[in-house]
Amino acid sequence: MASITIKDMSVSYNKGKTYVIEDMSLKVNEGEFCVFLGPSGCGKTTAMHCIAGLLKPQKGEIYFGDKIVTAPLKGIFEQPQERNIAMVFQEYALYPNMTVRKNMSFALETKKAPKEEINRRVDEMAKMLSIEPLLDRKPAELSGGQRQRVALGRAMVRNPNVFMLDEPLGNLDAKLREQVRYELKKIQRKLGVTTVYVTHDQTEAMTMADHIVLMNNGRIVQEGTPSDLYDHPCNLFAAVFLGTPKINTFDCKVQKKGEDYFLVHPSFILPVPEEMEESVKLFEGKTVIFGIRPSDLILVEEGSEGCISGTVDGVEPLGEAFLVYLNVGGQVIVFKYSGDKTSFSGQLSLRPNASKFHIFDKETENRIND
Amino acid sequence: MSTAVNVKPVKEKVPVHLRVLRVVYYLIMICTVLLYLLPFWGTVTTSFKTAEEALTTNPLSFPEEISFDAYVDSFEELKESLITSVIITVGGALGSVALGSVCAYGLSKYRFKFDGLFFLLLSAAIYLPYQAILVPLLKTISNLGLYDTRRGLILIHIVYGMPMCTSMFRGFYSDIPDALIKQAMIDGNGPWQIYRKIVLPNTTIATVTVLVFQFTSVWNEMLFALTMGGFDCMPATIALNQMVGALSAEFNMQMAGSIWLTLPVLLLYMFLGKYLIRGYMAGAVTAS
Repeated sequence: MASITIKDMSVSYNKGKTYVIEDMSLKVNEGEFCVFLGPSGCGKTTAMHCIAGLLKPQKGEIYFGDKIVTAPLKGIFEQPQERNIAMVFQEYALYPNMTVRKNMSFALETKKAPKEEINRRVDEMAKMLSIEPLLDRKPAELSGGQRQRVALGRAMVRNPNVFMLDEPLGNLDAKLREQVRYELKKIQRKLGVTTVYVTHDQTEAMTMADHIVLMNNGRIVQEGTPSDLYDHPCNLFAAVFLGTPKINTFDCKVQKKGEDYFLVHPSFILPVPEEMEESVKLFEGKTVIFGIRPSDLILVEEGSEGCISGTVDGVEPLGEAFLVYLNVGGQVIVFKYSGDKTSFSGQLSLRPNASKFHIFDKETENRIND
Repeated sequence: MSTAVNVKPVKEKVPVHLRVLRVVYYLIMICTVLLYLLPFWGTVTTSFKTAEEALTTNPLSFPEEISFDAYVDSFEELKESLITSVIITVGGALGSVALGSVCAYGLSKYRFKFDGLFFLLLSAAIYLPYQAILVPLLKTISNLGLYDTRRGLILIHIVYGMPMCTSMFRGFYSDIPDALIKQAMIDGNGPWQIYRKIVLPNTTIATVTVLVFQFTSVWNEMLFALTMGGFDCMPATIALNQMVGALSAEFNMQMAGSIWLTLPVLLLYMFLGKYLIRGYMAGAVTAS
């Protein structure tokens, strides 16, 4: 087990003409479950391959604990086979010519571990993942979910420095995905192994991660705990990427009336909460983006002060709650209602939770309020 | 069409014109097969005849009395050259397949400088007509002191078989997912271990296909055998050819000799045929 430190790493596939990762710096603590999250093509898999040693960055350094494993400018590069890492690929990459048992013991045999030790560890891991009855089968005879578990088992049986997973749940159906997600996190906590997990699915990131690294266009947008990112997105991209349904956003003008500041939209006027005034007042007269998550809207009496009003556009029952779509001045917004009401129609008024305002600069899209 | 709605099971009634067509197809196929098998039939019947009968009867007629004399005599005649052929074929085929396989593994699974150019030049060698290089090749072989030796012919077959083998293997190996190679790397294996433990065990069909292909082409080869060989090193193809002139017209001997020469290739196809078909298909779908 080891922590991972990345310093100013840049990766280019065309000798420096364009960079897929630029100046990435990151620290993943020992035993941490770290998720690289981002849209496809953001460089998250590339970053992981660099950590694994499958790719050589052009610049930068990577450390496992105190040990330097990649430093192209110093001519240091440890081959993947020397790094003691384990990886699960999206396509599982089980060796088709070997049985499940052999697949799981392969890496240990390569390391020339004692036979009894190997058998003990394989049996233990097989029990943990309940794949014991499959040990003598070949990968071709397994279902998707079983293959997935074998791939996980093969990686975890090795007791690696770092455990890496590249969208490992991508090929599973929704139900199985939830189950494996839960098991995976449980096992990771039990083994306490430093884990890097790549995904584009924000739900996976939110539910599993200790530490989310949100990436876009080869750069880290924001990193922190899931609640850091959810409650304090540092820019519009982060706000929109995390959370389902998506955050509602409005272009508003900041106006001062008397001593108070207001967010003015053609369809509504909202008072800026006192604690945010300090940061918002610099934008007086300018346009900002006001964001509010669907669950931070509260249904109130029609015509109340400081409300967003609109006509009901559609309703999606979720069982425990409803997603209600409202048309506000031509723009459709969504709010999540979990009260007793079961039918929605006509005009509704919503009051945004004042402590959950997200305000972004229209030009830079960076967060204004803290 | 209103009748299109009443679809009946195909088995019950096939329209007359389709049935006639089917009979015609079969007739054409049977005729084609017979046409192809006729010379072979002639070879087999003649080989079982006595020298006299072979000269006096129709080549396609059944022998009056089955005689194995021709087989015994022709084997005696060809024995030495058959051994030469076996040695050259085994050496040439194994050598070119081994080299081609390693070469294709490197080319399909690793990127290095000028790898594309390298493969281009290598595949160009496949289309090189051997007649064009015969004279310089002969000089080189003589200078190396390998003229009329088995070693010389083995070397030539390895060198000129390798490009074809590489190209065939490359098609098969590019089918192996890259993730599998990366996984094996992460599991602590170097390139050679990956080749031995992952690539080879998962491509047995490919190896068999290329090996049989290469075995057949070296075994049947005449041009190099004729020019680079001599009395000390005479492959069976040449020896059989010389029987024609040397022993006037003993057809039964020649035909029996032909059977001896065909037998190894025939047996190979019979036993490995199912692998070959799978192998060719696999290659066909993925050939880049």
